Amino acid sequence: MNLPMLCMQSRGLSTSSALSQVIRLTRLRVVDNSEIGKQAMAEGKPPYVFHVYNKMGVGYIGDRVMVAIKGEKKKGILVGLKQNQKKKVPKFDTNNLVLIEDNGSPIGTRIHVPIPHILRTLMKEKTHSKGADYTKLIAIASRFI
Amino acid sequence: MAMSVRVRLGSQFRNIMRVCFHENRHMSTAEIVVEKSENPKEPERISLEEQQRLNDIAKNERMEKLLNMRFAYQEFLPDPNPKNRNTLKERLERRDMLARRSNVEIPEFYVGSLVAVMHSDPHAPGKNNRFMGICIQKIGAGLRASFILRNFIDGEGVEINFDMYDPTIQRIDVIRLEKRLDEELFYLRDAPPEYSTFPVDMEPEYQPEGSAVPVNEIKVPLKPLPWLVKWERMGMKGIRDVTSMLTEKRLRMSKLKQFNKPWEKYDLLKMYSETIPIEDQVEIFSEIQEKLHELEQHRYKMKRSRNFVKPTKMG
Amino acid sequence: MNQAKILNLVAKLKHTNNIKPRKLKNYRGPEGRIAMLQKSLTALLKYERIELNFNRADETRAYAEIFMSQIAKQGSQNQKSIDMANFWILENQIIYKLFNVLVPRFSNDVSYTNLYHHPNVYPGILRPKAILELKNNSFPKVSSSIKNQSSVENILLKESHKRHFIDVITQ
Repeated sequence: MNLPMLCMQSRGLSTSSALSQVIRLTRLRVVDNSEIGKQAMAEGKPPYVFHVYNKMGVGYIGDRVMVAIKGEKKKGILVGLKQNQKKKVPKFDTNNLVLIEDNGSPIGTRIHVPIPHILRTLMKEKTHSKGADYTKLIAIASRFI
Repeated sequence: MAMSVRVRLGSQFRNIMRVCFHENRHMSTAEIVVEKSENPKEPERISLEEQQRLNDIAKNERMEKLLNMRFAYQEFLPDPNPKNRNTLKERLERRDMLARRSNVEIPEFYVGSLVAVMHSDPHAPGKNNRFMGICIQKIGAGLRASFILRNFIDGEGVEINFDMYDPTIQRIDVIRLEKRLDEELFYLRDAPPEYSTFPVDMEPEYQPEGSAVPVNEIKVPLKPLPWLVKWERMGMKGIRDVTSMLTEKRLRMSKLKQFNKPWEKYDLLKMYSETIPIEDQVEIFSEIQEKLHELEQHRYKMKRSRNFVKPTKMG
Repeated sequence: MNQAKILNLVAKLKHTNNIKPRKLKNYRGPEGRIAMLQKSLTALLKYERIELNFNRADETRAYAEIFMSQIAKQGSQNQKSIDMANFWILENQIIYKLFNVLVPRFSNDVSYTNLYHHPNVYPGILRPKAILELKNNSFPKVSSSIKNQSSVENILLKESHKRHFIDVITQ
C-alpha cells in the first residue's frame, strides 16, 4: 500500500469521492446504444477515463474524454454529471458518456437517458467548420430536460 | 384610599401599582377587598384592567400570527451569523423580493412538496423549459434562496437547483402541497427509484382553503450499501430501519457519542446563534405582511376576473 | 450557506448584540464544556452571586439569560421547561427554587443577571475575574452608582492631580 493511503487510514480520513469529479480512472456509464458500449456495461466493466481534453484535468459537462473500453481506446462526450452543477443545469445520479468517432459523430444511434438542454449550446460552440462536428450527438437524443 | 389615589395617577404608574398589588396580594388582600366593594369607581377600574387584558390577548394573537409566517416565508429571515448581518442590505433585499413577488406568484411550498417550475431557457428550442419533481431541499436567505427538485426521468435520477427569485422563472406550480418528516430529503438519492419517481404531467391537487399542511409520514427504505452518506449516523426520521444492512463495527460506530451529540439538545447558546430572535422576526414580518396581503388580494381579484370570458362575435 | 432555523423561538438577549459561543477549553471537549456551564448555572441559581473567571462568567451569563427567558416564555408548567431545567440544574431543590421563587420574582423583568469585573489579588494568577449575580438579590450592592465626591480620599486625589498639573506647567 502506498504512503498516502496509509496516512489516510491511520488518520481516519474518508476517501469517498465527495466532489464526484470526473478525473482519470473515473468509471463512466455509456448511455448510447453502440455495440461496444452495451457489451461493456453488460459485462460489468464500464469504461474508465484516462484523459480529459481540457487544461484542468477535470471533466465538466460537454467535455471530450478518452476512455478505455473493452481493451480499446475510444473518445466520448460527457452528457450528464453527478457533480453539483450551476443553477438550472440538471445534475444526474450517474456520470453519463456518449461514445463518438474521431470526426465527432456518435457511434450509436440513440441515447436512452435525458440530455440537458445546455448541451445544444455547448456542442455548437465546440464545433468548428473544418474540425469535428459534435451536433450530430444532439440529433440522436431521445429527450431533453 | 389607595384606590382613589390610583385613579388620579398616570397610566404608567398604574401598571407598576398593578404589579405591586399583584405581588402583595397574599399579604394585603383583606384591606383591598373591603375598599373594592365600597369604592364607587370600581366599574371603571375593572374595565381598565379588562381592556388591558383584552389588549394583551389581541397583541399576543397578532404576534403569533406574525411569527407563524416564518414557516411559509422562511427566506425572509436573514443569515443568523452576526458577521453577515447588515440591516440596510437586508431591508433592500426584502424590497427586491417583494418586487419580484409582485410579478410572479411564488407559492407556499415545503420540503417534500411536488413542485413544477416553468422557466425561460435560451438553450431550449422553444426558449421555455419545465421541470417537475419533489422538493428535497429549501435553503438560503434573501435573494439567494434556492430549492432543489428531484425526479426520475427515463430511468435516470435528475436534480435541478433553482433560485427562488430568479428573473427567468415564469411560473411555479405546486402540484401537491405536503411536508415530510425531515428538513432535507437527500436520502432519496440512496433510495429505490420508485420513491422519487413522479409523472411529469401530474394534475395539481387542490386542498380546501385554510386547511393545515398535511405531513406525509412515509418511511423510505434504502438501497443496499454503499451509500453516498452514512445515513445511520444522521438520525433521519424518514428512513426505514437499516440496522440489518450494517456491519457490526459500523453499527457500533453509529452509536458513539461523538456522532449523536446528546449535549447539543439543550445547548441554548447554539440554539440562539442559529435563530433570529423573536423581536427581529416580528419586525421583519410586520414590514412585509401588508404588502404580501395586498398582493394576495390583487391576485385573487385577477383570478376572478380571468374566469369571466368575454363573448366574441361569431362570423 | 447559512439559514436561520425556525423550529425554536428565542427572545433577544438584552446585554449584548454580538454573541458567539466560546470554546472554554476542556479536556472532555464539547461535552465537558456543557458540564462546566451546568455547574456554574446551578451555582448561580443557588447562591445568586458567584465569582468566576471572566470568560466562564460571561458564557454562563448568556446561558442563564436564555434559560430564564425560555422558561418565562414557555411557562413553568410546560414539559419543555421542566426537561430543560432537569438538564441544566444539577440539584433537585434548586429546580423547586427556580419554579417557585425565581420565576415569579422575574415575571416582569427583561434581563436577569448582572456582571461585574473583579480586581485581581496581587500576587496571584492574573486572570480576569468577574462577579456574576442574579438581579433583585438580597445581598448589598456590588458597586454604588453614585460617586462619593466628598470622601477624604477623593478630595486628596483631586488636590494631588491639581498640584501635579501646576508642577508640569511651571516647569
